[in-house]
Amino acid sequence: MKRLAAAAALLGLAATVTACSGGSPTKSGSGGGGGLFTTIDVNRPGLDASAPANPYNPKGNSFPAFNSMKLGWVKNHLTDPNQALPGIAASWEVAPDNSAITLKLQPNAKWSDGQPVTAEDVKMSIGIAYTQGSTAFSVTPGAAGVASDVTVVDDKTLKITQEMANPSPKFVRGVLDTTVLPSHVWKDVLPANFWDTLKAARGDDAAAEKARADITALGQKVLTFAPPKDVSAGPFVLERVNPGEALLVKNKNFYNAANVAPAQVKFLNYTGNEQIWNYLTAGKLDQSGFIAAPTDVMNRIKQAPGNEVIKGYSPVAVSMAFNQSKKPYDNVHVRRGLAYLINRDEVTKVASPEGGTPAVTTSGIHQKAAQAWIPDTLPKLDPYKPDPAKAEAEFKQAGLTKKDGKWALADGTPWKVSMHAPSGFSDWLSAQENIKSQLVKNGIDAEVVTTTDYPLYLEELAAGKYDVGFWLMALGPAPYDIFQRLYGASNGWTNVAGKVTHAAPGKNGNWMGGPEEIEVDGAKINPGELTGKLNTATAEQAKPIMAQLATAANQDLPVIQLWDYVNNQFVNNTRFTGWPHDDEILRLGTGVLPAGVWIQLGMVKAKQ
Amino acid sequence: MTVIARRLAGHLARGLVMILVVATISFFIVNNIPGDPMAARYEKLVEGGMSPEAAAQAVKVLYGFQPTGTLWQQYTDYMGGLLHLDLGVSVSRPGTPVLDVLGEAAKWTVLPVLVGTLLSFLVGVILGVFAAIKRTSKLGDALAISGSLLHGIPQYVLAMLLVVIFATLIPILPADGPVDILFEPGFNAGYIGSLAEHAVLPVVTYALSAYGGWVLAMKSSVVTVLGDDFILAAELRGMKRSIVFRYIARNAILPLFTILALSLGLLLGGAVFIEKIFNYPGLGLMLINGVNDRDYALMSGAFLLITAAVIVANIVADLFYSTIDPRVRSGEEAA
Repeated sequence: MKRLAAAAALLGLAATVTACSGGSPTKSGSGGGGGLFTTIDVNRPGLDASAPANPYNPKGNSFPAFNSMKLGWVKNHLTDPNQALPGIAASWEVAPDNSAITLKLQPNAKWSDGQPVTAEDVKMSIGIAYTQGSTAFSVTPGAAGVASDVTVVDDKTLKITQEMANPSPKFVRGVLDTTVLPSHVWKDVLPANFWDTLKAARGDDAAAEKARADITALGQKVLTFAPPKDVSAGPFVLERVNPGEALLVKNKNFYNAANVAPAQVKFLNYTGNEQIWNYLTAGKLDQSGFIAAPTDVMNRIKQAPGNEVIKGYSPVAVSMAFNQSKKPYDNVHVRRGLAYLINRDEVTKVASPEGGTPAVTTSGIHQKAAQAWIPDTLPKLDPYKPDPAKAEAEFKQAGLTKKDGKWALADGTPWKVSMHAPSGFSDWLSAQENIKSQLVKNGIDAEVVTTTDYPLYLEELAAGKYDVGFWLMALGPAPYDIFQRLYGASNGWTNVAGKVTHAAPGKNGNWMGGPEEIEVDGAKINPGELTGKLNTATAEQAKPIMAQLATAANQDLPVIQLWDYVNNQFVNNTRFTGWPHDDEILRLGTGVLPAGVWIQLGMVKAKQ
Repeated sequence: MTVIARRLAGHLARGLVMILVVATISFFIVNNIPGDPMAARYEKLVEGGMSPEAAAQAVKVLYGFQPTGTLWQQYTDYMGGLLHLDLGVSVSRPGTPVLDVLGEAAKWTVLPVLVGTLLSFLVGVILGVFAAIKRTSKLGDALAISGSLLHGIPQYVLAMLLVVIFATLIPILPADGPVDILFEPGFNAGYIGSLAEHAVLPVVTYALSAYGGWVLAMKSSVVTVLGDDFILAAELRGMKRSIVFRYIARNAILPLFTILALSLGLLLGGAVFIEKIFNYPGLGLMLINGVNDRDYALMSGAFLLITAAVIVANIVADLFYSTIDPRVRSGEEAA
C-alpha cells in the first residue's frame, strides 16, 4: 500500500504543478507598452536554442526585419524587380544606365549596443555576402549583375558599381537585398587581405580559381561564426531562445523605435503544419505567413476571434510537368490533349481554394504579371478550356488509339498517366487525385504515386524517373527568373557567364527532356537562348522576348500551368491593427518576414 | 577475478563489438538513404526569391561541411573519429559537433521518458498485482481491460487524444514546446513550474502508453506465482494477507525488472512520435529533423547513441538480475 500511496502522490504532484504554473511570467528586457507580438517563421521549422544570431546560419536565431536588417526590403512588384522599401539604406540613386547605385544610410541608425551603423559596416557586410553567394556579390566568373567595385564615399554613403560586361536589370535588387552586419562584431571573420583575394578571384587563371576556393572556404567560417551576443540594427534584439520559442525585445537604439508598437516579439517553433493550424485556430498568432490547410481547418482558422486573411500577389505558380523523354509525352499533341481534358478550376477548387487562382492558361508567367508584361499576347494564347472533343482530336493526331472507351498508346499498349508528388504536399496530392479522376472519367488510366519526401522527389525527378511531376514555376518578379523554370537547367539549358548551352535529355539535370529548338507559329526558336537573353535585357527589351516565350510555352506545353499562387497572410486584430493590404509588400525578398518590415515602418499599431 | 567482474568484462567486450558492428551498419544505411538535400535546399532558396546562381553558391558553401572522398574513406574517417568520441559535424547546424547536438537534445528526452517510464512501472506493477488477485472480480476485469486498451492504442493516437482533450477542449495544459520563453530561466518557481507544466502531457503519454504492458505482464507473473508451493504453504500457515501479498509481489516482480532495464535502454529512442506531436525538442524530434535535412552525421550519431544505450541497459539488466535474484547468483557460484 505504501507504493500505491507513493504513486498516488506522484500523480498528485503532477496535478499540483499543473495547477500552480499558470502564473504570470517574469517579463524581461525593455518594455515598450505595446505588448507582446507573437509570430512564426513558416519557412523555417525547428528553432535551435544553441544556434548563433547569425543570418547566414540556416538555423541561426536571426529573424530578417526583426533583429536582422537589410539595405532595403525588396518588393514583389509585377514588373520592376528593383522596387524596395527603405531599410538601413534610407534612400538610393541609380545611374541612368544602371551602372551604379549610390546608397544613403539612415542618418540615425545605431546598433543595439549603441555604436552607429556606418558605411564601413555595409562594406564589410558586402564582403561577407561574397562568401555566401548573392545575386549582386558573386565570385562566379561572368555572372550577370555583379558588382565590380564598392566605394565608401563617406560615413553614411556608399557607391556600388556594376560590372557592365554582363549587366543585369535586377542589379539594384541584388544590392538592396544584402544583410547588414556590425563590423565591430564580425571584423575578424574576413581576413585583412579579403578585398585583394576578391580582386584575384575575378580572373580566369589558376590563381583566380584558388582565390575563389578560398572565398568559398571563408563562407564556411561565416556560417559557423557565433557572435557572443546579438547586436542588432533592427527594431528588436534577441533576448533568449529555448527549443520551443525565441524572445526578442525592443531595440531602443533603432532609428524608428518611436513607431515600433510591440515591446516584445515571441517566435513560436513548429515541426509540422498541424501545429501552426492549432496556433492559428487558438488565435495565438498575431501574424503568420501562409500555410496550406484543408477547407475545414481553414474555416476554423477564419472563425477564430480577431483572425483575418489578407490576400495578395505571390509570384509563383504550380504546374504539371512532363518528362518528354518518355512516351507518349514526347508528342506535343498528347500534352495538348491532356491540357484540354483537365479542368483547372476544379483542380484549384479542390487543391488550393484559398491559396490559388486557376491559371487562365499556360504562359509560363503568373497571370497578374502576364497582364502587365504581355497584355497584347495573353488574349491570343490558347486558354485550353476543357473540351473533350478537342482532346480526342489531339490524341488521335498523336496516334493514340481508343479501345473499349480506354486510350492506349499507338502500338496498342495500355497508357497510364503516372503522377508523382512528395508526401506532405497536401495541395499537390489533392490536385493529382482530382486530375486522376478527371482523366479516368475520360478514358485515360491514371495513378498518383507519393514519394517519401521532397529531397527524394527532387532527386528522382532530376534522374528522369517520373513521367509526370508537379513543378513550381513563374518565380518572379525578374523575367529571367520567371522563364528559367521552364527553359533552364531542368530542361537542359545552362547559362554560364551569359553563354547558354543545352544538354541532351537525361543529362546534367535535364529531366523535362524537351528538344533544343521548338516550333512556334511555324518558326524554329531556341527558348533556352531567349531565356538567357532575359538575364541582361532591360524591361523594354524583355517584353517581346517574354511574349515569344509565353507563346512557346502555350503551344509547346512543357508543363500545364494549373494554378497561380495567392499570397495569404494570417493576421489577428485582437492585439494589433494596421495590417497593410498592399499586394507588393505582403511578400518580400529572400526569407524576409514581412511583419517585421510592417512593424519597423510603423504600420502596425497596438490596439487601444 | 570475481564472478561479477568476469561477467562485466565479458559483457563489455561483447558490447563494444556490437557497438562497432552497429556503427558500421548504420553508417552505410544512413549514407545510402536516397534523396538530394542539396537540390531541396536550392529549390527552397530559389522559391524564396534568390536568383539561381546565388542559390547554387549558397548551397555549395553550406554543403561544404559534408565529408568528401569515397564512401570507404568516409567510413574509415568516421570509425577513426569514433574511437576519439568524435562523431563528426552536423550539416543542418553547420559546423556544430554532432556530440553537442546529441547532448542538447538528450536532456529533453531523458527526464520526461524516465519519469514516464518509472511512473508507469510503479502504477502498472501495483495495479497488475490487484488485477491478478482480483482476477475473478469486476475490478480485476476492469484493470485487465484498461491494460489491454492502453497497450493497444498507438502512442501517437494517445498523444493526439490528450492534446485534443487537455489543450483544445479543456485548455488547461500547453501542447507544445518545453517551457514558456517569457519566464526568466533559472531556479525560480515560474520557470520550473512552466517546465513541469509543459512536461505533463508528454510524460502522461509515455506513462499511459507503457502502463498497459506493465499491468498485463505483472498480472501474468503474479498468477504464475500464486500457484507456487510456497504461497500455498504461507496461506496454510495462516500468515497475514499483507505478508502473503508481499511474498507474491516480490517474486512476481523479478522478471519485470529485466524488462524495466531494457525499457530504460530504449528510453533514448522511444520518443519519436511523442516529441513530434508535442514539439518537444528531444532526440526523437532531432532524429526526424536530421532525416528531413539528410544530416548523415547526425543520423549516424543518433542511431549509435540509441544502440549504445540499449547495450548498456542489457549489461545492467543482466548484472542487476543476478544481484536481486539469489537463485541466479547461487547457480553461477555453483558453476
